[in-house]
Amino acid sequence: MASKNKHYISIKESREIIKYNIKQMKYYESLKKRKANQDEYIVPMKDSNNLIEIDNLKTVFFTDNGTVMSVNGVSFEIPKNKIVGVVGESGCGKSVTSLSIMQLVQAPQGQIIEGEIRFNSDSLQTNNVNQKLGYNIAKMPTQEMYNIRGKDITMIFQEPMTSLNPVFTIGYQLDEVSFVHKPGVTKEEAKAHSIEMLNKVGISMPEHVYKSYPHELSGGMRQRVMIAMALAGNPKLIIADEPTTALDVTIQAQILELLKDIQKKEQCSIMLITHDLGVIAEMADYVVVMYAGKVIEKGTAQEIFHNPLHPYTIGLQKSKPLITSSSQKPLYSIPGQVPNPINLPDNCYFKGRCNKCCEKCNGKYPKEIKVSDTHYVSCYLYEGSEE
Amino acid sequence: MLKYIIKRIAISVVILLGVSIIIYTMVRLMPNDYVDNKYASQLQSGAINQEDIDRFKALYGIGDNSFEGIVGGYLKWIGNLAKGDLGTSFKYEKPVEQVISENMWISFAIAIVATILQFVIAIPLGIGSATHQYSIRDYVVTVFTMIGISLPTYFFAAIVIKVLSVDLGLFPPNGLLSATANYEDSFAGSLEKFIDIVHHLFLPILVSVFLSIGGLMRYTRTNMLEVLNADYIRTARAKGLSEKTVIYKHAFRNTMIPLVTMLAGILPSLFGGMMITEQVFGIDGIGRLAYQALREGDIPFVMGYNMFLAILTVIGTLLSDIMYSVVDPRVKLGK
Repeated sequence: MASKNKHYISIKESREIIKYNIKQMKYYESLKKRKANQDEYIVPMKDSNNLIEIDNLKTVFFTDNGTVMSVNGVSFEIPKNKIVGVVGESGCGKSVTSLSIMQLVQAPQGQIIEGEIRFNSDSLQTNNVNQKLGYNIAKMPTQEMYNIRGKDITMIFQEPMTSLNPVFTIGYQLDEVSFVHKPGVTKEEAKAHSIEMLNKVGISMPEHVYKSYPHELSGGMRQRVMIAMALAGNPKLIIADEPTTALDVTIQAQILELLKDIQKKEQCSIMLITHDLGVIAEMADYVVVMYAGKVIEKGTAQEIFHNPLHPYTIGLQKSKPLITSSSQKPLYSIPGQVPNPINLPDNCYFKGRCNKCCEKCNGKYPKEIKVSDTHYVSCYLYEGSEE
Repeated sequence: MLKYIIKRIAISVVILLGVSIIIYTMVRLMPNDYVDNKYASQLQSGAINQEDIDRFKALYGIGDNSFEGIVGGYLKWIGNLAKGDLGTSFKYEKPVEQVISENMWISFAIAIVATILQFVIAIPLGIGSATHQYSIRDYVVTVFTMIGISLPTYFFAAIVIKVLSVDLGLFPPNGLLSATANYEDSFAGSLEKFIDIVHHLFLPILVSVFLSIGGLMRYTRTNMLEVLNADYIRTARAKGLSEKTVIYKHAFRNTMIPLVTMLAGILPSLFGGMMITEQVFGIDGIGRLAYQALREGDIPFVMGYNMFLAILTVIGTLLSDIMYSVVDPRVKLGK
C-alpha cells in the first residue's frame, strides 16, 4: 500500500484499502462476538501488585486513507492504589489507550490488533505455579466485558455537558449501574446506594439532584454526577479522560481534589489522562508520557519532573507557563507538528522536531532504555546510561 | 399547560380564518365552474341557452366573479359556517358534513392500517440500518426504500394491479366489494363481507405502505446514527449495559424525539384520505370524492373538505407540540 507520492492515493489503491479494511474489520468484530473458552483470555499477571498491565498494545483505525496506528506498542503498568498520569499532545493516543482498556474504541473502524491488557481481577485465583491470574481484556469477548465495565473499571469523560443522557433523570441513570451489576437488587436499595454516591461526591442536595434531569445541573455538578456514577460499581480502576478540560478553573481544582480524595478513601487506582502537566504534578504517583502512539518516557512523578530525559518531555515542561517567570519572553513551544500516523517510518517519530537530534536517530525506532528501576526512556541519547 | 393549549386554540382560529380566505379565493378563481361543467353539452345542443346558465349560476351563488362577488360569497359562506352549516354539496346533493362523515371511515380504515404498518416496518428497519451501518443489510434496505420514495403512486399502483391482480389474479383490481356477491344478513354473512373488504383493500394498503416506508425509515436511520455517536451512548456502554439496552433504551428514547414531530403530519393523512390511491383503486373514500368534487368545481364540498384538513393539521401540530414536552424533559410548555 505504500505509494511513491505520499499525499495522493490512486483509485486502485483506495479500492484495495477499502477491501482490506472490510476484511480486517469483519475478522476483529467476529473475534469480539465469539464464544470463547475462559482459558483463552485468562493469563498470569507479571506482578500481583499491578492492577493493569498493558503490554505492547496496538490499537488501530481502519480508515479510507489507510490504517492509522493510534496506539502503537504501548506498555505500562497501573499499580494498585496509585494514580497514574498519562500526558501527551492531542492525537497521541492517550484516549484510545484508555478506551482500549474499556473495549470502547469506536467499532468497527477501531480495533485492538495486538498486545495484552491484563486486568488483575479479584474474582480470579492464582494458578499452579503461584502466579496471580488476570483477564486479558484485549482478547475478551464483548459479552464478558459487560461484567467488567462499570463495575471493576469505570470511566469519567471529558464532556460532562453531553455525557449524560438528556431524557433520563440522574437517579435513573445512577440506579442503572446497581441494577446491572448487583443482580436481585430492589428499587429502594438502588436508590439508597445512588444517593449515598451523590453524597460521597459532595452534592449537597442529593435527593433533589436524584430527581433532576441533566439539563437542570451545571457543568461541575454534572461532572460530580459522572464521578458518582463511576463510583457506584465500587471500581478498582477509574479512568478519568481529561475530566477537567471542559470545566472552569475553580471547578477544576474542586474536581481534582475530589478525585484525589476518593482515590484515598475507596482504595482504587486512577488513570488520569490530561495534557496539563500541572495537574499531573499535583496528582500522579507515576507518569507516562506518550507521543504519536508510543510511550517515550515513563517513571515516577519525581523522576519525570526533576529529571526529565526525553527531549520531548523536556520540551513539554519548558512550554508550561510559570507564574514566576518573567513574562517578557514568549512562551516556549515545541516546533513542528505530530507526524501523520499513517505509514510512519521506522525511526524515532520525534526526530523531525527534536533539538538534540544526532546521527544515530536515523536508525530504527529507539529501544526502551531502563534508567532506574522505575524510569524508562526511548531515546538514543541515553543508550549508554542503562542500569 | 391548560393556558398554553387555550392560547394555541385561540391562535388556531385566526390561522383557520386565513386558510379559509385563501382556499375560497382560489376555488372561486378556478377557470371552470360547476354549472359550466354540468350543462356544457346541453348548451352545445341548444337545449338551454346562456341566460339559463347565468340564472343557474346566480342560484348556486357563483355568478359574480368580480372582487365584490367573491367577498360577498365568502361572507355568506362564513356566515353559514358560524351557524354550523357547511352548505350543501353541488355534486353529491347532500349536506357537506354528511358527505364527509359518511365517506371518511373507509379512508380512515385504510390509513390507520397503512400508518401502523408503516411505523411497525420502518422504525425497526431504520434502527437495523443504523446499527449495521454500511453493511449489506443497510444497503439493501436503503436501496429498496429509496425506490419506494421515488416511485409515483399511480405508476406503482398500475404495476401492482397489472402483476398481482391482472396477471396472477390474486387480488381484485378495484372497488370495495365483489360485484356479484350477495351477503346474507347474518354473522357468517357479515364475516364473509368483511373478508371480502380486506381482500379488496390489500393492494391499496400495500401500495401506500411501500411508498411511505422510505421517508420514515431514512428519518429513523439518520436520527439513530446521530444518537449512536453521542457521548451519552458511550457513557451507557461504559456503565456495563448490554448493547440491546443501550440501543433500545438509551438511544431509542432520544431517536423518538424528532419522530414525534411526524405526528403532526399523520393526523390529516389519517382522516383526509389518499386522493390518488383511492382514485386508482376505485375506492369511494373521502380522498376520491374530494378529487372529483375539485374537478367539477363543487365549491361547498371543496371548502368543507379543505377546512376539515386544515383543522386536522392545526390539531396535529398542537398534539405534536404537547407530545414533544412528554418525550423530551428539556421542553416545557407554557409561557
